[in-house]
Amino acid sequence: MFKRVLIANRGEIALRVIRACREMGIETVAIYSEADRDATYLQLADEAICVGPAKASESYLRIDRVISAAEIGNVQAIHPGYGFLSENSHFAEVCRSCDIGFIGPTPEAMAKVGDKNSARALAREAGVPCVPGSDGIIANETDAVRIARQIGFPVLLKATAGGGGKGMRVAADDQALAPAWQQASAEALAAFGNAGIYMERYIDRPRHVEVQVLGDTHGTMLHLWERDCSTQRRHQKLIEESPSPRLAPETRKAMCEAAVRLCKTAGYHSAGTVEFIVDQEGNFYFIEVNARIQVEHPVSEMVTGIDLVKAQIRVAAGEKLWIEQKDIVPRGHALECRINADPAPAGSSRSTPPVASGSGGIRMPRPATSSLPITTRS
Amino acid sequence: MSAAPKPDDFFNTKQIRRLIALMEKHDLAEIDLKNADQRVRIKRGGEVVVAPTAQAARTAGPAPAAAAPPPADSKMVIITSPMVGTFYRASGPDSAAFIKVGDRIGPEKTVCIIEAMKVFNEIPAGVSGQVVAVLVENGHPVEFGQPLIKVDPEK
Repeated sequence: MFKRVLIANRGEIALRVIRACREMGIETVAIYSEADRDATYLQLADEAICVGPAKASESYLRIDRVISAAEIGNVQAIHPGYGFLSENSHFAEVCRSCDIGFIGPTPEAMAKVGDKNSARALAREAGVPCVPGSDGIIANETDAVRIARQIGFPVLLKATAGGGGKGMRVAADDQALAPAWQQASAEALAAFGNAGIYMERYIDRPRHVEVQVLGDTHGTMLHLWERDCSTQRRHQKLIEESPSPRLAPETRKAMCEAAVRLCKTAGYHSAGTVEFIVDQEGNFYFIEVNARIQVEHPVSEMVTGIDLVKAQIRVAAGEKLWIEQKDIVPRGHALECRINADPAPAGSSRSTPPVASGSGGIRMPRPATSSLPITTRS
Repeated sequence: MSAAPKPDDFFNTKQIRRLIALMEKHDLAEIDLKNADQRVRIKRGGEVVVAPTAQAARTAGPAPAAAAPPPADSKMVIITSPMVGTFYRASGPDSAAFIKVGDRIGPEKTVCIIEAMKVFNEIPAGVSGQVVAVLVENGHPVEFGQPLIKVDPEK
């Protein structure tokens, strides 16, 4: 087991990982940018190292500084959290070559599932249904029309390097297609530095359901059932819950088994999430894999009683998973609600966000407190 | 459309934020701007000499062995670490230190090496003056922004 772990992240997930490590008797090294210098969670770590100025690109995203911090902090492994470098296969690669454990999947598995387009190819290989779509990036407008006619309108254009709803457009017919494709490409290039667009049939009023997976390096791949994330705002998840309120038992079982099959095919291990959409008839289609622990992981933890972060650490240290699929029986119903801070409308007086404290059955991922300013870290 | 700045231009938060960002970018401690009958003065970070914060103290070397800073200390310039790594005073274990207290240095002078990921980075002073103190022990880890060398720019 690791003696010391560096958490390459900040805020709520950094605190989450620090806590898991403390409970396992593992020492922790936290990193912080100058904007987070006074964050209270840093005091829970055994050491805290400043890695740069406020800008994330000059601190949390600086691979050289994170690795240097790991070296002077004398850690055996790094937990990347979510966002930042967590799905950066180059970072995972650097960790490996510096002989620092990366608490997550291998760089190869991460790269395979990370590109949405190659993930679809993997899904087909694993016999996992995908939304009818293009077999790759659309090369030009002529191809776009041809493929759209094959797939059947309406179609959805999506950025291959995308996420968070950016670089997406719906086109109902031939006429709408060209402008939709141009807009999606431009947005994708601006947001992700990659203008590649692929196409899928547009599913009307889908449910968004994802499966939590967990695997070790000894060939075991498990699922911790599903989370329904259909309630969204501007394509960002607002509420996540388990179990999904409208899924037939057979569908649930088939979907979770499909997720496990896909990850096995990809050689994926550690924690991850396989996303599906479910149409009005109850058919499910693979969308993408998130090769990281997610914000909403506590939902799955609460219904299964399994600590996912501790499991990640154990698996990264080479341990065999101590649970079997048949033992993962969900109990009860768990909901996560994301509280967002929007800029106050012009003319209103500013107010700090409301604070609630958790109690019995309510888990409050901190560190939102009334005294912590909301900083912008562009 | 008038090109003259609006009367409350200085005091809108967007402008102030921009000024602060510029200060951070160029590592300025203080700016004092005047425009007709308006003036804005922004001081950043207070006292320039700072013992490492509680968090940093656990990871950095021992706190600087210094007496209570005299008022003249506010004129001192601190060379801070631009990276995370290990601080070395010389290019090798048998070499002489790059600088010692009392040395006069110019901006191009290498004051130390910070080793990061097996790469030995020579750190230039960036200021002229006389070395007043070396704040980190040889071979100790340093974090980004950690004070390394204190220089008196007026000497």
